[in-house]
Amino acid sequence: MSNVIGIVNYGIAGNIHSIEKALKKAGAKTLIINKAEDFTKVDKLVLPGVGSFKDAMKELKNDGFIEPLNNNTKPILGICLGMQILSTVGFEYGQTKGFNYIDAEVRPMLVDAKVPHVGFNTIEVVNTNKIIKGLEKAEFYFMHSYEVVNYTNIVSLTEYAGHKFVSSIQKDNIYGVQFHPEKSRDAGIQLLKNFINLGEK
Amino acid sequence: MKTRIIAKLDAKPPFIVKPVHFEGLRQIGLPFELAKKYYEQGADEVFYIDIVASLYQREILFNEIEKTANELFIPFGVGGGVRTIEDFSKLFDNGADKVVINTYAVQEDPEIINKAAQIFGNQSVVVNIEAKKWDSHYECFTDCGRIRSGRNVIEWAEEVESRGAGEILLQSVDADGRQRGFDIDLAKEVVENIKIPVVVSSGAGKLEDIKALIECAQPSGVAIASLLHYDSYQIVDIKNYLRKNNIEVSI
Repeated sequence: MSNVIGIVNYGIAGNIHSIEKALKKAGAKTLIINKAEDFTKVDKLVLPGVGSFKDAMKELKNDGFIEPLNNNTKPILGICLGMQILSTVGFEYGQTKGFNYIDAEVRPMLVDAKVPHVGFNTIEVVNTNKIIKGLEKAEFYFMHSYEVVNYTNIVSLTEYAGHKFVSSIQKDNIYGVQFHPEKSRDAGIQLLKNFINLGEK
Repeated sequence: MKTRIIAKLDAKPPFIVKPVHFEGLRQIGLPFELAKKYYEQGADEVFYIDIVASLYQREILFNEIEKTANELFIPFGVGGGVRTIEDFSKLFDNGADKVVINTYAVQEDPEIINKAAQIFGNQSVVVNIEAKKWDSHYECFTDCGRIRSGRNVIEWAEEVESRGAGEILLQSVDADGRQRGFDIDLAKEVVENIKIPVVVSSGAGKLEDIKALIECAQPSGVAIASLLHYDSYQIVDIKNYLRKNNIEVSI
């Protein structure tokens, strides 16, 4: 197996390069996915995202990426907004349908504290998995104003100003992290390494 | 919440310099070397501000940004001379995670904050405020404290928040580079009046200054330059000291 990690580039500017750089540092072969045909050339997918839920879904549609993602059976790692759009529905600038991989809603963080939630924070693992294994005590970098609200498929929670929110999720081979592994020092690189090595002997 | 400890690099390309009271400049080193050093010391973020780009209307040096970004696996904020949405785009393409804007927004067109926030997401738009005490209030200055804007700092902070900025980098023209402590009143007033995170810069001369700032004003982050540049302390020393004083920090 060649094990190429595809980074879905859907016109939302931002952290594509940071993610590519971090994946390379973690030892991956990467391919930036710019068109629908590219999905067949890779073995796993990273779904990044900065911006709003609504714009992200619109851009994915414009690029013709909705269908390949709906039909996808390869492991996916959604990062930040890329995790949020794995949910059923988002409420950022109106109501927008997501991929519905995870039965969840994306809502504004309701905390009596500064929003966006920005900075390093710890995770509290509820159900460990292969990509988070060994990183249960690690700190990761967060930068978000919305949170995924769900009651199943929770991997970890994180506390911010007394409020606990879902900081990572998993269902089958679909993984999502609210934090940015590409911005989380060695712990983030390790998490990416774990994702790259999924299913590898 | 863990207070972010951020290394701030002021650049007069190709060098990182240390402005003293926004005026005299001392060369400290090259951006990518310093960024890497502070990353390895445990910085939570790095900010790189080209402090002359706006004044001289110079182009941002994108290759320097890229080279610096390549050394970092923590967030990297870049600013100085940002005037257009294309500047934002290019900086993100060259590895910036956040773009810092000041002069153009405050002096010419604040609407750029709305546009950038909508396209790139609130969290990646940082507004730098250079505050100077003027009569009984604080006024926004630009171009390293040289030019007045006529805008009240608190009103401007509220305005940039409502326009979609994700964070404020607050500098004090009076305290910058002097290493005599932060302007805590200024920091407190801004932090208390807005909901978005505030990173406070200008004035760290000793560890107690940082502690006093965090305890009194509770900023989301503290940006430190001189104290690190002169190797008085490493970031790990700062964090250990804060932790001993019951202030939460990462690693």
